[in-house]
Amino acid sequence: MRNFFFFLRLFVWFSLRDMRKHMGRVATVLLGIALGAAVFSSVRLSVNASLDSFAKSMDLIAGQADYVLTRPGGHVPENLITHLWNHRAIQNASPVLSTYTRIAQAGSEPFLLIGFDPILDRPLRYWQIATTTDPKTVVWFDLLKEPDTIILSEPLTRLLNRKPGDRLLLEHVHRRSNFKIIGKLEPEGLALAEGGRIALTDIATFQEFTGLFGKVDRIDLKLKPFATARDLADIRQMLPESIQLNPPTATRESGQMMIRAYQLNLSILSFASLFVGMFLVYSLVALNAASRRHELAILRSTGASAYHVFFIFLAEGAFLGIAGWLAAIPIGHFLIKYLLHGVSQTISTLFVRVRVDALSLSVFEIGFSFVVTVGISILAAYQPAREAMRVPPKEALEIAQLGMRPRKSPRQLALGGLFCILLVLPLSWLPAVLGMPLPGYVSVLLLFVGFSLLAPWALQRISHRFSSVLRRRAGIPAYLASRYVRDSGTRTAVSVGALITAVAIFAALVIMIYSFRQTVEYWTYETIKGDLFLTSKMGEINRFRYAIPQQVIDNLQDYKSEVDILPNRRFFLNYGKFPYEFELLDIQRFMQYASFFWLKGDPHKIGPMLKGGEGVIVSEVFSNRTGLTVGDVFEAQIEESYVELPILGIVRDYRTQGGVVFYSMPHFNAQYHQTYWGGVRFFFKDRSQDLDLAVAKLRNEIIDRMGDKVDMYSGKGLRGAVLRIFDETFAVTTVLLLIALVIAALGIATTLTVMVLERSQQLNTLFAVGASFRQIRTMIFWEAGFMVVIGELAGVVCGFLLSYLLVYVINRQSFGWTFLYGVDWGSLGLSIPLIMITALAAALPAVKMVFRQPPATLLRER
Amino acid sequence: MNSETSGSVISAKKLTRLYQLGHSQIIGINQVDLEIAGGELVVLKGNSGSGKSTLLSLLAGLDRPSRGELIVACHDLNKTSDSQLTHFRRQIVGMIFQSFNLLPTLNVLENISLPALLAGKAIAEIRPKAMALLEWLGLEARLNHLPAQLSGGEMQRTAIARALINDPAIILADEPTGNLDSRNGQIVIDLLAELNRKWNRTVLIATHSTLADEIATVRIGLRDGMITDHP
Repeated sequence: MRNFFFFLRLFVWFSLRDMRKHMGRVATVLLGIALGAAVFSSVRLSVNASLDSFAKSMDLIAGQADYVLTRPGGHVPENLITHLWNHRAIQNASPVLSTYTRIAQAGSEPFLLIGFDPILDRPLRYWQIATTTDPKTVVWFDLLKEPDTIILSEPLTRLLNRKPGDRLLLEHVHRRSNFKIIGKLEPEGLALAEGGRIALTDIATFQEFTGLFGKVDRIDLKLKPFATARDLADIRQMLPESIQLNPPTATRESGQMMIRAYQLNLSILSFASLFVGMFLVYSLVALNAASRRHELAILRSTGASAYHVFFIFLAEGAFLGIAGWLAAIPIGHFLIKYLLHGVSQTISTLFVRVRVDALSLSVFEIGFSFVVTVGISILAAYQPAREAMRVPPKEALEIAQLGMRPRKSPRQLALGGLFCILLVLPLSWLPAVLGMPLPGYVSVLLLFVGFSLLAPWALQRISHRFSSVLRRRAGIPAYLASRYVRDSGTRTAVSVGALITAVAIFAALVIMIYSFRQTVEYWTYETIKGDLFLTSKMGEINRFRYAIPQQVIDNLQDYKSEVDILPNRRFFLNYGKFPYEFELLDIQRFMQYASFFWLKGDPHKIGPMLKGGEGVIVSEVFSNRTGLTVGDVFEAQIEESYVELPILGIVRDYRTQGGVVFYSMPHFNAQYHQTYWGGVRFFFKDRSQDLDLAVAKLRNEIIDRMGDKVDMYSGKGLRGAVLRIFDETFAVTTVLLLIALVIAALGIATTLTVMVLERSQQLNTLFAVGASFRQIRTMIFWEAGFMVVIGELAGVVCGFLLSYLLVYVINRQSFGWTFLYGVDWGSLGLSIPLIMITALAAALPAVKMVFRQPPATLLRER
Repeated sequence: MNSETSGSVISAKKLTRLYQLGHSQIIGINQVDLEIAGGELVVLKGNSGSGKSTLLSLLAGLDRPSRGELIVACHDLNKTSDSQLTHFRRQIVGMIFQSFNLLPTLNVLENISLPALLAGKAIAEIRPKAMALLEWLGLEARLNHLPAQLSGGEMQRTAIARALINDPAIILADEPTGNLDSRNGQIVIDLLAELNRKWNRTVLIATHSTLADEIATVRIGLRDGMITDHP
């Protein structure tokens, strides 16, 4: 303990007091670390909030159930309950239905309505009705007794501005119903699901409201304590073939699996900001170690051990990490408000519906971000600390000229860098580990490390190569700058490494986003073709589980002369834990107007087979996730039918919520069972007319006739919405990489300032032998210019390699898709000079520092 | 620049330099009057804190006086602009430092050539002069060496060559033997003497050492920022 306090005192005397003298550069480094830590923490907290919200909702809805009965893609017959109740091992069986509904008012927000039997469900789910003023009222019993009654959660009553006793006109596919609000839920248990926006009604009322007579979404089972595996097998035996018995966590796990891949990607991206900040810590600690060399020697000569010195500098790194992390708190507080909304919206759009109203601070996440921030700061300080501990005590006696100490050979570092880069490709070929592209991420890290290690050698070679040319063309300041940069060694190279990392991430993401967008755009215009799209009311949010009313279908036949009507049906299924869609459509007519975005298989061969119902085609995501490919057999229980079909080809599909399997709807109806229309798309037969006008006219006519039963989207609007969602999804990514660039610019500013301060004697000497202020300042700008140009060029090259990893490895292993590689030369061409200008502007503080110490100090006696 | 100068080449009247250190004012030099004729070899003596370095920095154009008049080689250093001072440092004075102050990334030839390059001269013009200086100073074998590869004496001789490359009229040396052994120190002093006698340069040496006593034509003592001894 005494040793600890002694060390603490030494640290305060030696390091903290020195830092106090140089608050500017310390503050710059702290800002860089704070930005990186804030980004990292905010991203993880935002995604975790969505994950928690989703998991909590799923768990609350699942309640105490041991198992859940479902029919893939369909509904479970309600009469199964009677048979289940007769089984000796079943303690409770509760039928449950759920749907999204909304009040019949334009612009109203949907909420979850659950239909259940309050008596049967009581043992399985916890919910409490708020105390009423009338002690004789038994609210839940009124739910059973009176039709069209509803209980709302507290937040919902506030949102809808209603109270018990009021009426609520709700709309759904087939009808509108005027519900009577008979109670309010206490904010606990089930009432907390879906962000607290939930309503309960009796199962009979629900069935009448939705038209699902005799059907339920699922039956939740609670088994008796003595139930055995044999009992479970027995229960499975008594179920129809099309009914599945699964633990209630299945839905939660599959949703979490998808969100986690997104979380990992975003975490890695946000970690990049912290990684760049690490270079700042290295720069500062290395400067402290180098510029105070004489003091270190004095410290050693007065009795400090080499390890004292080592731990002092390691403690400096730790201090910067801790202080930076603390400074990140207010930045994170601001950032998280923006990220929480953006991230939860992205997750809801791409994966599963989540509603996050408040952020809960996870102790684990806070601790994790602290450990990572401080950890990498200590890691950054390690090398300078090792160099510092080697300062011999005898240097205390030397009035030595501060010359260039022998450093690690740039050539050795370059060989190490080359080795790292060569490992990138083979490592990237390794498969994902537990569904995560870990080898891919290690490849990315090796790429950054490799290029950073190449930086000193590149600086040396390029400066050497161009120094004489520069002297002739640009004068002595440029020449001196090139010579200094050539010989400055790892210190300059570290900042160049930071810039390489930031520019590489920027370039790679510009390429990846452009490639992705172009591919999605092409897919949108080829596959999401259609002049008008129609679904049942609130069809999309309810996952097309409700049929388009027959009346609507009959009415649509009146338009057959002007439009081709293509019905479809989408089933949301699971392949193991992996969710996917099985889509039925009239492929024959679809391929007259649109096409699939083929990846594998010859479309000319496959097309006729597909139209003939001879097999299915699957999306790339489905194929990558399941391992099934052309020639394999697709098998699935879909409603009451077991489907077994060969896979004919693989297509690109960037639909959200997992992979897709396509099959011909008429052949499904003929071979398996008749299914209803979930959606319709229209194609005008006369393609020469003004299609926008025609779409508007048709849309208005349909609204006039049956607008209360359907939702419609113009094809143009839908395709635009897809691309808009894409752009919004990447808005978060863009913010993160801009922050990484800012940190890199801070790194350049710090390094240049440090280089100037360290060389004040040299710079004053230049002044003394006849250099003007302008010449010296020009030299500083040239030094910055070298660092920035080399950093940018190497960064762009690294960025191209990184983009390959992102497109073909990480995206593929994380999400299952790849896209057509394309480079937005315009954006890259425009942004590279902008980055250069920004980084050169970062040289201004250094230039101002040049004569902070007057030249006369050259003559100060030692 | 004509190296043969008659009359005062350095003229200072009531020359004062004050430094602000927090709330205190430190006197560098105080009311110094000085007349030095061209071609003299002046030895400036004084203990630490006497003001030698302050006076030298003013004469070299590295600093500006707080009060008083200072004219060096017909340049009124109170009234010159920054660009005129730059020209002054390039062409009129050559500085030699105690700790040599060679640029570590430049080799001997490049360090010597530096002031001439800063003055805008072409390398073809500079090289013969630099080689001549190297020969005179016995450094021909070292021309491609970096400072880290030189001995103390070699570094100081390189610094002397650098100070001479633009043919300045005045050489200012701040403790030129301070970091050298007695043998090398004597070599440097002999070189400075040769510069004065053979090349007729005005030389000013600020030093503790007694090595320069024999070669001095003028001796000036400084204490507490004031001249105590000046013939």
